[in-house]
Amino acid sequence: MRLRRRLAPALGAALLAAMAFLWVTPFLWTLVASFRPEGAGHADMASLVPDLDPTLENFRNAFDSGTFGLYYLNTVIVVGGVLAMQCVTVSLAGYAFARLRFRGRNLLFYGFLLQLMLVPPALIVPNLRTVVDLGLYDTLAGVMAPYFASAFGTFLMRQTFLAIPRDFEEAAAIDGAPWWAVIWYVLLPMARPGLVAFAIVSVTTHWNEFLWPLMVINDPAKQTLTIGLASFTLGAESGKEWGVLAAGTLLVMAPLAVAFVAFQRRFVDSFVFSGVKG
Amino acid sequence: MAVTDAAPEIGGINSGARTVSGLAGRRRAQARVLPYALLAPSLIFLGLFTYLPVIRVAIESLYDKPHGLGDAAARFVGGDNYARVLGDPAFREAAGNNLVYALGTLIPTLILALAFALAVQRSTRFNTVLRTVLFFPSLVPLVAAASLFFFIFLPGVGLLDYYLGKIGIEGPNWLGNSDLALWSVIGLTVWKNAGYYMLFYIAGLQNISRDTIEAATIDGANAWQRLRYVILPALAPTTSFVLVIATINVLTSVDHVVVLTRGGPSNATNLLLYYIFQTAHENFDYGKAAAATLMSVAVLLAISLTSMRVMEQGGRGAT
Amino acid sequence: MSVIGRLSAGALALAIAATASLPVAAQTKIDFFFPVPVEGKLAREMTRLVKVYNDSQKDVAVTAVYTGSYDDTKLKAQAAAKAGKPPSVVLMSANFITDLKLSGDIMSLEPQLQADGTTREKFLADFWPALHANATVDGALYGVPFHNSTPLLYYNVDHFKEAGLDPAKPPRTWVELVDAAKKLTKRNGDKVERYGFLMAEGYDYLGWLMSAFTMSNGGRYFNETYGGEVYYDAPSTLGAARFVEDLVFKHKVMPQGVTEAGGVSTEFFAGKVSMILVSTGSLSFIRENMKTPYNVAFVPYNVSNGVPIGGASLVLFNGQSEESRQAGWKFIKWLSSAEVLGGWSRFTGYFAPRKSAYEMAEMKDFLAKNPDAKVALDQLPFARPWFATYQTVAVRKAMEDEMQAVLNGKKKADQAMKDAQKKADELMRPYVEQTALKLP
Repeated sequence: MRLRRRLAPALGAALLAAMAFLWVTPFLWTLVASFRPEGAGHADMASLVPDLDPTLENFRNAFDSGTFGLYYLNTVIVVGGVLAMQCVTVSLAGYAFARLRFRGRNLLFYGFLLQLMLVPPALIVPNLRTVVDLGLYDTLAGVMAPYFASAFGTFLMRQTFLAIPRDFEEAAAIDGAPWWAVIWYVLLPMARPGLVAFAIVSVTTHWNEFLWPLMVINDPAKQTLTIGLASFTLGAESGKEWGVLAAGTLLVMAPLAVAFVAFQRRFVDSFVFSGVKG
Repeated sequence: MAVTDAAPEIGGINSGARTVSGLAGRRRAQARVLPYALLAPSLIFLGLFTYLPVIRVAIESLYDKPHGLGDAAARFVGGDNYARVLGDPAFREAAGNNLVYALGTLIPTLILALAFALAVQRSTRFNTVLRTVLFFPSLVPLVAAASLFFFIFLPGVGLLDYYLGKIGIEGPNWLGNSDLALWSVIGLTVWKNAGYYMLFYIAGLQNISRDTIEAATIDGANAWQRLRYVILPALAPTTSFVLVIATINVLTSVDHVVVLTRGGPSNATNLLLYYIFQTAHENFDYGKAAAATLMSVAVLLAISLTSMRVMEQGGRGAT
Repeated sequence: MSVIGRLSAGALALAIAATASLPVAAQTKIDFFFPVPVEGKLAREMTRLVKVYNDSQKDVAVTAVYTGSYDDTKLKAQAAAKAGKPPSVVLMSANFITDLKLSGDIMSLEPQLQADGTTREKFLADFWPALHANATVDGALYGVPFHNSTPLLYYNVDHFKEAGLDPAKPPRTWVELVDAAKKLTKRNGDKVERYGFLMAEGYDYLGWLMSAFTMSNGGRYFNETYGGEVYYDAPSTLGAARFVEDLVFKHKVMPQGVTEAGGVSTEFFAGKVSMILVSTGSLSFIRENMKTPYNVAFVPYNVSNGVPIGGASLVLFNGQSEESRQAGWKFIKWLSSAEVLGGWSRFTGYFAPRKSAYEMAEMKDFLAKNPDAKVALDQLPFARPWFATYQTVAVRKAMEDEMQAVLNGKKKADQAMKDAQKKADELMRPYVEQTALKLP
């Protein structure tokens, strides 16, 4: 009995360590391989042991193969643009559903629900047609447009607003504040954790999006990071330069990685605060 | 599911002072329009990119326009496209694969997410590192992960086979064996998503009051019993939430198929969305793609509505 | 002259001077979509070539867009066209020309030839005969060949010596291939340490190599003059399918399952397979990365030598303006000139489609130093058109899906070919009913 009590946590810790190692192995390899000198064929290329002679050659080749600076810029534009619009639409809509009573509220609520399931990738074929009809084909705006309204964000904000006691708003209303002042000065500051949680989800999702931008964008000057990276992998016939691939992958992952490590505590906390439990 | 009651109209409570009719009248008219005005921006985009496409797809699914033979060849075929989709062995295979894929990813991912969350819920330094490691895969674009895994799965010299070889095991053809390919894709998906859902569970765990757990311990419950009878029920809302997101993910993310296997070998990794993509963009059979889209959308809706209902009930139960 | 008169004269002179200093025509910007089979280096080289062209003249500004694999390039180009923004020039898989013409995506190059004062026969005379069929549809020129390939057998010289085979006498027939492969396969108990033979089995590649085996088996594989017929269940194709099946299951010299081209070359470099069947297009890549001696040979035959060509041609997409079309044609002519083609061939390992490219000094030098590059050229007399039909990709996949099932042991070759033919016929039926079966 006493042995089991001591053994169990030790076993648990060992298992956890093993899982963690398993989880991190692909990245370990990426790191090691991106510095390994060119040699697409040697049998040890999967080795996790770094080479004694590291090189930056792969990164140089990766940069040559694609204008990564431009990709970063485009991705930031898309992610930023989507988030900015979303903050506006979800705050307004969330407020409407949380605080106002109006005819057709239930119906409209279900309508929003629909968008949660019918994510743009599922409607890729008709949405492409719409984007073309709007004259937004091959533009970053075309990539962003379908995401400006967010059912997920609306629900999150509604949830967050509902959890805020009405006292503050009633006080503000008594003081004669109009609806927008109530939202801007009273509710939003208190709803910040929810907004942050939403922002994190939104940024991560759109940073990593692939299929939709691939279909909308042709101009290489407008390509996002994921498309740029994919051209590495989607090359047809023969061999692959694994070192360059690893370097390219690292370049795509780096910013999010750095951001996450820096804001890790905030990340987790916002998930807790937003009461994302249902 | 009923939308919970809202507060009385804002601005309805007059400042008390000035004119009653003019200002109040205008305010009331404003207040009546307000909710719709607030919803308008969202509704515009929803209309354009959610409702309109569905309508278009519904209409398009009723026509057959063979590729490259000119518009003259387009003809109304009614339910013909639907019949063709259901009769297409590739569609049936994609649907079957999606089911296996769903179960194969949802179950391990949820279990792992919970297990990880339980293991790292306390905010120690060490746990912070672990959380980073486990969450990291979800930060990576699926395309990037797929490229990595292409190498990992490479026969003979890839990461997996290399280290398996060191302990004397000969790795199978992970992506080229039609029995194994789908499971390799499932493995990639689990690796990618477990950490993400782990965060939700950590939040959920931190919301369980210490007292409840202590009470259970005092009552003599051991770790397993605490888990089963106290923690899991308290996490029900989190689980439903995660389940909804994960299910939607299962049906809508195919980036890895596009990059890794393109549906192969011989449709072993074909998923519904990829089948639609192929039908539209490789076979140019837009009517058939539209029909398949509509059917998938119907399935998506059915699943999500049921889980939403369960979630609301769970939420109501917990609060 | 009066003041006004002088002023007006001055103004007129100014105006004339101003217009004279304007460029005669504004620079035409065009988009050029290109795939390259080995990404990275080749994509960089193509981008460099485009820059050279842009810098060399002022009329045309080309934006080079790398669009991935052959299939993806077709996808993107057609999607862009559908969206109303077609690219001007596309480097398209040579066998998609028929499909694209039938779907109305590309334009005939005959008007350009006429404007240049030449004819199709004269224009194509400088190109290898095997390439003519894929470049023309219904008797008109639709594509200009840019780089071409045939499958080649690459083999590891050291392994040959080790197994007691003569590296100077590579297998020429299927019988010799099986024999060599058996000697080269190394087993350690139940585990196979080294396979004798491996071929690329991913989408696009597998169909190509299957047509190679069929042609080496005396067959046609498809109807070169009519895009509505394929011969998947003919004896020659069936023989090829059974042969591939036997390599895996009867002679056990090839691994089970599907291996993509990337994996095939990696295994070759790592010494885990002794002979591989891949394209000449990988020649430079293999030359650079193979650390041990290797050599190349013709594709082994059963009935008679026969190989399909591969590669890509330049096409003009429909839907572009007149200036864009002229600009595109200028670019095409430059890109397909003998010097550029020769340089590209030396860089990649593809062979240059123009005979005159091989008259040039650099080429002669290069071939003298790299005899392996000559083998693909020597195989050309046996080269035949690449598989091209209505709905080429889907019809090709009909075969590939079935063969992949065979490679995985899920189906027998006979059943697979029957099913493939059935699927293909169904896919081509709309076209057939509008053409061959449309009777007065």
